[in-house]
Amino acid sequence: MSAAPLVDVKGLTVDFAGSAKPVRAVSGVDLTLAKGEVLALLGESGSGKTVTMRALMRLLPKSARIGGQVRVAGRDVLALAPDELAAMRGPVVSMVFQEPGIALDPVYRLGDQIAEAVMRHEGASRSQGRARALELFERVRIPSAARRLDNYPHEMSGGMRQRAMIALALSCHPKVLLADEPTTALDATVQIQILLLLRELQRELGLAVMFVTHDIGVAVEVADRIAVMYAGRIVETGSCARVVQAPQHPYTQGLLASRAGHVFAKGERLGTIPGSPPDLANPPPGCAFAPRCKVAEAICTKDLPREYQAEPGHVARCVRLAPAPATVAA
Amino acid sequence: MAIATADIALPATKRVSRGYWTDVGRRLSRDPVAMTAACIVLLIVLAAIFAPYVAPADPYKGSMIRRLKPIWDANYILGSDELGRDMLTRLIYGGRLSLFMGGLPVALAFVIGSSVGIFAGYVGGWANTLIMRTIDVFYAFPSVLLAIALSGALGAGILNAIVSLTIVFIPQITRVAEAVTTQIRTRDYVEAARVSGAGPLTIIRVHVLGNVLGPIFVYATSLISVSMILASGLSFLGLGSKPPEPEWGLMLNTLRTAIYVQPLVAALPGAMIFITSISFNLFSDGLRSAMEVKQ
Amino acid sequence: MTLAVDLDDKDRGGPAQPLLSVAGLVKHFPVNRGLMGGARSVVRAVDGVAFEVAKRETLGIVGESGCGKSTTARLLMHIIAPDAGEILFDGEKVGTAALDLAGYRRQVQMVFQDSHASLNPRLTMEETVAFGPRVHGFSRAAALSRAHDLLHRVGLDPSRFAGRYPHEISGGQRQRVNIARALALRPRLLILDEPVSALDKSVEAQVLNLLLDLKDESGLTYVFISHDLNVVRFMSDRVMVMYLGKIAELGPAETILQNPRHPYTAALLASMPSMDPNNRTQEAPLMGDPPNPIDPPPGCRFHTRCKFAAPVCSAKEAPLGAVGLDHAVACLMAIPGSGHPLAPALASEAA
Repeated sequence: MSAAPLVDVKGLTVDFAGSAKPVRAVSGVDLTLAKGEVLALLGESGSGKTVTMRALMRLLPKSARIGGQVRVAGRDVLALAPDELAAMRGPVVSMVFQEPGIALDPVYRLGDQIAEAVMRHEGASRSQGRARALELFERVRIPSAARRLDNYPHEMSGGMRQRAMIALALSCHPKVLLADEPTTALDATVQIQILLLLRELQRELGLAVMFVTHDIGVAVEVADRIAVMYAGRIVETGSCARVVQAPQHPYTQGLLASRAGHVFAKGERLGTIPGSPPDLANPPPGCAFAPRCKVAEAICTKDLPREYQAEPGHVARCVRLAPAPATVAA
Repeated sequence: MAIATADIALPATKRVSRGYWTDVGRRLSRDPVAMTAACIVLLIVLAAIFAPYVAPADPYKGSMIRRLKPIWDANYILGSDELGRDMLTRLIYGGRLSLFMGGLPVALAFVIGSSVGIFAGYVGGWANTLIMRTIDVFYAFPSVLLAIALSGALGAGILNAIVSLTIVFIPQITRVAEAVTTQIRTRDYVEAARVSGAGPLTIIRVHVLGNVLGPIFVYATSLISVSMILASGLSFLGLGSKPPEPEWGLMLNTLRTAIYVQPLVAALPGAMIFITSISFNLFSDGLRSAMEVKQ
Repeated sequence: MTLAVDLDDKDRGGPAQPLLSVAGLVKHFPVNRGLMGGARSVVRAVDGVAFEVAKRETLGIVGESGCGKSTTARLLMHIIAPDAGEILFDGEKVGTAALDLAGYRRQVQMVFQDSHASLNPRLTMEETVAFGPRVHGFSRAAALSRAHDLLHRVGLDPSRFAGRYPHEISGGQRQRVNIARALALRPRLLILDEPVSALDKSVEAQVLNLLLDLKDESGLTYVFISHDLNVVRFMSDRVMVMYLGKIAELGPAETILQNPRHPYTAALLASMPSMDPNNRTQEAPLMGDPPNPIDPPPGCRFHTRCKFAAPVCSAKEAPLGAVGLDHAVACLMAIPGSGHPLAPALASEAA
């Protein structure tokens, strides 16, 4: 990876100026995404994973204040004028949502929506746009694609709508695809189809994909690297295999232990993480996970742990990984 | 106890729980527009109630030689009307009848409409269809037309005006009440209550009323302004209060001949109707947004 | 453990008698198409479902959207009335003089999926839990005291949670309150309709453990509905797989999940994410979405997505037939001489 990463985020913070106390949804996220790489942002609700991803496109409500630095394909996203931002959405970055109903216009035929996007961004004619829509529909394996182009979103089943939405997201040849829990609302047998489709498209088109999910299993199916988020920070990053096989942060360890799938003996109990995620309006001092952590020490509630390397390319924000003398000296 | 406690991570200083309405009140008090509107309404209502103490003159006593004085006249702060009566006094006293005729029909319609609507919404089925289609027949007429027709049929007078306005508002409130109740009825907590063996009256009292009265109330407050304007309209047409009773709509009527002599004075009752009704509306809007529970 | 006390008093038929037995359960929802109501069609939400739940066991019901699992839950609770079929509770037919609806509902309670929608936003936690006992004639003080006991039992300190409103607590805590409410009438059977699917994974494990603890302590019986096979496997003694309103397979959890006999069960299992980064899923086990239950395919309802489908599958419906001890499957491949090429030969032919 000699070239600069396609997505480079440094010190990203997002604050929501709510009615009472401002809430810091993302507090200092650094991440990179290289060309052709799939990164899964894994976290629970309120961990800031979706907000982080949306900040890459500045798709956040007006009450959000974004700080830090976000560079996508060499552009400083936070400094872009609204028209430059609009020009970037589509040809550079595009997004697949959890609920296709949000992104697809219910009163336009699907083929026209895609043709429209192609015409706007690439200056193509209507017939070229329609041709591209047909090509995309075949690419995402919508059966009888030519006929389906004239469907309205509500005429399709959930899985087909999600395929149509992927087709729309790919319509302007994006370099980066952001996927926000694209399979969460789907049935298991449909979810695996969409995951495999995304994996195949990513490989064939050389896309960089950022995949937000709460489900470790889904992340393992698609990701090269996994970044685990907790309370607005990335607590662990590493290759998919190492994060799953040798998790370093107690939170990641807890998440893996609490999966119902890995208990086989009847009557056995699941490993749990006690308590619930912190209130981001009053975050606990130090490591945000410390109050729920089984191995927390006194220092954990004082200082925010920095990232320590467990092995090359695998880092975690946990003092237990600190080189021994450093903690004693402190 | 083998059960893991769920709450060890919660900060012990988590805020003390408050009732829903306390929260609404707190949010409302932070809304400057709604608070201003509420103050204006309160001022007008208090002035009307304590009219004998606040008003500078007698509302009925005129003077043939001091008719239609302009605003800021030496003796009349807001001028005098076509019979030489003090405008400020009559505007203050006029609030009594105007607010009464604006508020009472809405209050009556709130009680009747909510009952009918909640019943229809909770029972559902053919009873709902029957009630709501009947209501729709009334709803089909423009409210002004319906109010005038009913008042005309019942005869002029304050009581009849109130009755006809109540009838005008019942269908509107019923429809809102039915809609929110239907929505609440299918909530899981209502089903959970049914499953725990509670009868319909208990469920309505405990689980439905608390959740539907708020939205209906907000809607009703937004009708007060309509009611005031309609009541004034009826009086203007001679179907409501009768001279020499001070009432804003009636005053607007009797002063219309003076519009070329003292246009500002002639417009004053209209201004009062406008200010009062817009204040009610702004307050109702504020209440509505304060009641939207944020997560 | 106050709750366990009076359970055995209510036990009528003894341990061998199923607590719940359901036969021929049918629910069709009419759908109006067009203004004139010309082509009136029905959603066959539940179409002839029969099963039993033994005392103190957990029956898991699993399936995709539209398979009828939630409708089954609501039918079991009598929230909606079935079009046909009967429900026996401990040997008594529900809705008869021996066991009226009110008596049944005291013994059967339900936990809903949406922890938010199932709590009245205007009631505090203690009021919510105390509501059932109040309805059944408890004094206010007695009902509140039971509510506090239950909140404590589900892991919520009453001194901190009793006076809270639903929007002041987290999703996992709300679901604990829902469980406490369901236990307030000391039921014998708990129907859990996707109780953890709206929760975060770390909280899901807490609630699942809680449910197991409560069951052990109070001798409860569960009907546990979920779309997540992992969760169902963890919770259940027996599993019932549903597809488009019918039972596809029914049997002991380990048997079904290790040796599925219905191609649909096998596909569901294979659709689970692999959790092994070096051995990812390479091929989707099924293509397409589940068909619309309004016009289910003729014959075996699964034949449109089944890779073993033969011509006979679209012509003939497979009855639910035993294939092993307490293990039944509705697939023509499991029925000797059914006409399916992969079906075993008839015993007489083999002999």
